[in-house]
Amino acid sequence: MTVMAVLAEVTLRGLLGRRRTLLLVLLVGLPVLIALLVRLAGGRPDADAVLDALVVRTVLPLVALIVGTAAIGSEIEDGTAVYLLVKPIARWRIAFAKILVAAGLTAALVVPAVILTGLLLGSRHDTTTTVIAYSVACLVGGSAYATAFVTLSLFTSRALLLGLAYTLIWEGVLAGLLEGTRFLSIRQATLGLAAALGVNVPGDPLVPFVSVVVLGTVLVGGLVLASWRLARFEIRGGD
Amino acid sequence: MTPTPTATPAPTATPAWTGIAPALEVDHVSRWYGNVVAVNDISFGLGPGVTGLLGPNGAGKTTLLNLMAGLLAPSAGHVLVEGASAWRRPEMYRHIGLVPEREAVPSYLTGLEFARLNARLQGVSDPAAAAARAIATVDLTDAANRPIGTYSKGMRQRAKLAGALVHDPTILLLDEPFNGMDPRQRLHMMSLLRSMAAEGRTILFSSHILEEVERLADSVLVVYAGRLAAAGDFRSIRRLMTDRPHTFTVRSSDDRRLAAALMGDAAVFGAELLDGHVSFRTADHDAFTRALPRVARAHAVTLFEVRSTDDSLESVFSYLVRR
Repeated sequence: MTVMAVLAEVTLRGLLGRRRTLLLVLLVGLPVLIALLVRLAGGRPDADAVLDALVVRTVLPLVALIVGTAAIGSEIEDGTAVYLLVKPIARWRIAFAKILVAAGLTAALVVPAVILTGLLLGSRHDTTTTVIAYSVACLVGGSAYATAFVTLSLFTSRALLLGLAYTLIWEGVLAGLLEGTRFLSIRQATLGLAAALGVNVPGDPLVPFVSVVVLGTVLVGGLVLASWRLARFEIRGGD
Repeated sequence: MTPTPTATPAPTATPAWTGIAPALEVDHVSRWYGNVVAVNDISFGLGPGVTGLLGPNGAGKTTLLNLMAGLLAPSAGHVLVEGASAWRRPEMYRHIGLVPEREAVPSYLTGLEFARLNARLQGVSDPAAAAARAIATVDLTDAANRPIGTYSKGMRQRAKLAGALVHDPTILLLDEPFNGMDPRQRLHMMSLLRSMAAEGRTILFSSHILEEVERLADSVLVVYAGRLAAAGDFRSIRRLMTDRPHTFTVRSSDDRRLAAALMGDAAVFGAELLDGHVSFRTADHDAFTRALPRVARAHAVTLFEVRSTDDSLESVFSYLVRR
């Protein structure tokens, strides 16, 4: 088994603690549960609206935040990161494995929720297109969020708080008000990608080219920055 | 194999290694955090054998160990492991095993899984066998399949050591390895480290307990307030510690007579009568403790209390830095 696979395995085991797993399952289960209740009640709202408002704007960033900030941040906080850092492994490999697992887990949790919610509610336009477009957008957007949050956790011990502020305040309020700054929003890029794949996204999402550039920059830039930071990461003693 | 004396005779001098090249070399290393100097211009070299890094809490021992483990960048100077810089050189971890001070070990893993994980990350060819061997070496086989979360502090220390041994490192850095161990575990660990040193490994362990260092180390580095207070053979450092000026406080049936009598003894160079006791200053700890009961008996003085007032490690280290 390669070192990358070992790193991925241990990261995954660390991430899937009982309480965190329960919280993540509750989060991704929420849109599915709502869709199920709506169907049982006989209503049929548009899946596009629910996927946009509930999944892309809320569940996706929160899941990525919980997973991304814990992938290495919790090991740094509890002191167990030292066991990874004193191994003959290039630091970029550790950063890459952490990002890969955080992105993969985010996608593995959110994409099935998108598919179930989309199929349960159905789209007023084309359900297949809606499900595929939002699945792809959440896969790429979730990876970008996870990359950003893993990287953030290497720079600050308050990554969870800062990530929450970015999601709720910057993306939720300011990026909507300050039109010229929307390219600094992973959410806007994710919605732009969904729009490019054929769904009607409310508002004025980023154009496909800009969306791809923003998401690509976060993914590649995040990996480079995380590798750079981890290569210079210091463990300070209390003595 | 006889452990090689390793540290420099002059604490802050440039490493003066004679014979084989040092496995670990610390050359005028300082490390500061903002205005706080954690390690101040320290130099020494280490070769095969057990070296104790002795100092009170907060002296800079962990910072020094982290510098040697490549986990901290020196603010000034160089740390060399087998001739190359320790900082930003992951490949050196093939030769180094580290037991960090922090107790944290992934609690969801069993002891055996933790050792195996370390072996896999080290790229050991047969991780399962290496892990089982390391677990047996630290005498943890009975608890190997229990989650580390259920371990006692001493067992966690041994699990950490097993993780550090899986790749058979030539250099072992241990930060307060005896913390939380019971006397039996402590003796076992000491004998283990001694046998590993005899195989030619370079072992450095930190401690704030003089007796631990005395029992295990061939040579010692004494750090205090971020500076290297003394370095070299343990016996000569021990002599420095015991030969320093000591102050004894004595309560007796006749303080004045005892003071007058003892002032005639060569071991005593000062006496002061205080309220209800007498304070003696001596340059020879052993000679004074021999002379005191003899002189008291000869002058029919009964001793009620004899106390060395500056025997704390703090005062010992502080004296070594000042000299």
